[in-house]
Amino acid sequence: MNRSWIFIFVGAFFEVIWVIGFKHAESPVSWAATIVSLAISFYLIIAASTRLPVGTVYAVFTGLGTAGTVLAEMVLYDEPVRLAKLLLIALLLAGIMGLKLIGGSSASTEVQS
Amino acid sequence: MAWVSLFLAGMFEVVGVLGMNRINRDKNVKAFILFGVGITLSFIFLSLALRSLPMGTAYAIWTGIGTAGGALVGMLFFGESRDWRRLLFIAMVLASAMGLKLIS
Repeated sequence: MNRSWIFIFVGAFFEVIWVIGFKHAESPVSWAATIVSLAISFYLIIAASTRLPVGTVYAVFTGLGTAGTVLAEMVLYDEPVRLAKLLLIALLLAGIMGLKLIGGSSASTEVQS
Repeated sequence: MAWVSLFLAGMFEVVGVLGMNRINRDKNVKAFILFGVGITLSFIFLSLALRSLPMGTAYAIWTGIGTAGGALVGMLFFGESRDWRRLLFIAMVLASAMGLKLIS
């Protein structure tokens, strides 16, 4: 259960790398790193979805990837920091924490069948 | 045409998520192909749509169709929980991800 959540978080981290890669990669090395990150992130979400409902895994993976990309663009590429972005990221994290809290009880038991 | 591409991109993303569900159930080559082809076609149609649609709008709609569709497929065909709290939290994640894509 917890291992699957770690897979999602690490998978989302690699998602941020390949999303940035698709936008900014120029050299063959950075393109190679982008493709490797793509493969690792998808491998990890498939691994996470063996224990958790796929709908949950995919929503969290997409959401964390988006939030991470927005943060990375603000920190690394001087995108403007706006209150609305920070509030949306907070809402997103609240949703993920909620899913994580109920994940063990209702969601994952039914998916076993 | 761009809107049709965007809609197809969202639909193929759902196909990819369907593939993920099948991988967990069957673990066969067909499931992996469904996943790979779904995700790949989704990206191809998304990049076609991005040629003429504003990026924020296109990304937000693509994420919305894919994530909501993926959750629906899980509930309808793979017995995932329909607990109202789960629906609420997925809706929160989905709404904030779409919002971030719209304003970034």
